[in-house]
Amino acid sequence: MDTKTKVKDCIVKLLKVKPEEVKEGLSLEQSLGVDSTEMVEVCIALQKEFGISIQEKEVAKQHSVEQIAKVIDSKKKA
Amino acid sequence: MIKKIAITGFGIVAPSGIDKKAFWANIKAGRSAIKKIERYDSSLYPSHIGGQIHDLDAYSHVSSRLLQKIDPFSHMALIASELALKDAGIDVSKENLNNIGIFMGNALGGWLYGETELRDLYIEGREGVSPYMASAWFPAAPQGQVSIYYGIKGYSKTVVSDRASSLMAIGHAIKILVKDKVEFILAGGMEAPLSPYGLLCCNTNGELSKNNEHPEEAYKPFDKARDGFVVGEGAGIMILESEDRAKKRGKKAFAYITGYGTTCDGVDRIKSDPGGKQLARAIRIALDDAGYRPEDIDYISLDGAATFEGDVSEVAAIKEVFGKDAKDIPVSAPKTMFGNLLGASGAVDVLVTLLAMEHSLIPPTLNLKEIDPECLGLNYCRDKAKEHSIRRAIVISRGRGGINAVLALEKG
Repeated sequence: MDTKTKVKDCIVKLLKVKPEEVKEGLSLEQSLGVDSTEMVEVCIALQKEFGISIQEKEVAKQHSVEQIAKVIDSKKKA
Repeated sequence: MIKKIAITGFGIVAPSGIDKKAFWANIKAGRSAIKKIERYDSSLYPSHIGGQIHDLDAYSHVSSRLLQKIDPFSHMALIASELALKDAGIDVSKENLNNIGIFMGNALGGWLYGETELRDLYIEGREGVSPYMASAWFPAAPQGQVSIYYGIKGYSKTVVSDRASSLMAIGHAIKILVKDKVEFILAGGMEAPLSPYGLLCCNTNGELSKNNEHPEEAYKPFDKARDGFVVGEGAGIMILESEDRAKKRGKKAFAYITGYGTTCDGVDRIKSDPGGKQLARAIRIALDDAGYRPEDIDYISLDGAATFEGDVSEVAAIKEVFGKDAKDIPVSAPKTMFGNLLGASGAVDVLVTLLAMEHSLIPPTLNLKEIDPECLGLNYCRDKAKEHSIRRAIVISRGRGGINAVLALEKG
């Protein structure tokens, strides 16, 4: 499973939303109305999922799933 | 009070039923909803019985996404608010959101959420704690959630005053409405005390019945064999608006709130003053506020703490205010059927009284077999509901440390 799909699955499971609600190219705020507190939860869930450390400023509600996947891929390579 | 405040809709979420039809059917029949608490192993608690709600989700329009961010006490408040608005025929989206208020009360806050996250803190560390912990457990959380859900932005307040919280919230709300600060108010209370830690706190307080073998017979205020009250969970929310506004929109009031009184005993950190002097004064203030004479009252909804000091002082206060009429006015403690909802109890007692007025039926006090000699002299309605026309009533709600609150009502 690629990083983008794993990120999407993680968000769907955490926020209890339908997969089709997570829209391609739109930020989490635009597609799901994610607020800053939910973003803290998303950040913690992604850290657990990928086993890496992610600072809260590195992934934001203004990011799309694709952008978040890129951040994670680059951290995994580093 | 300068003008009467109309109650034009209400929502009940209680162990005896969610929404008024189911709830009233059980109250009318004198059916107890007190059972052993089995949602976790509570068997080692000195008191492990209570009034529980099992089917919250079936009535809820609240999304799963929101539910994981809130405690059950906020969930109950959201359901009761929705039922109340529907009952009042109000579509919030068509109202001026700046002119709607929310006045609610509870005693404990949302302990299920709080204790679960504290457990996670000690097991998983800092990152195991939900960021919603900060906003889920605290007593004003239900007010906030109802405000967010409907976009309500007017003058609002949460009252924490032990078991008198919701009646005091209603008392504050009517003062605000009399001053025309808002158009209408969602007022009432909610409580979810049956979580493992919440129930433990209620137990250590020492005022709960230990009659675990006979849950339905355990809550027996004013009885010689009483040994404390039984706790319950639930919410009661009502829509309050001026008489003029209700008339303008063609909505008949279920009842009017005509008076409110509150006092403090100033005697003990837990127990009521056995003499009941300050409760008597609170009753007089409420009657004076409403312009009633004691003989105008057709029904008294009792606090019914089922503790020696609580019961004896309540009876003493009623005898002092109502004199020779005390033996004739029907009185009862319907919470013996569903438990003492702590901070929500006063609001739910008001709603039971509205239903009693509507159906001309006094709801019973269960389990009152042999009246404590020190509590004699009142016209207790026992075991079965009794037909009786109620035009004017008072509701008594009291909290630990000698908090007394009394509301006067008149049928709409």
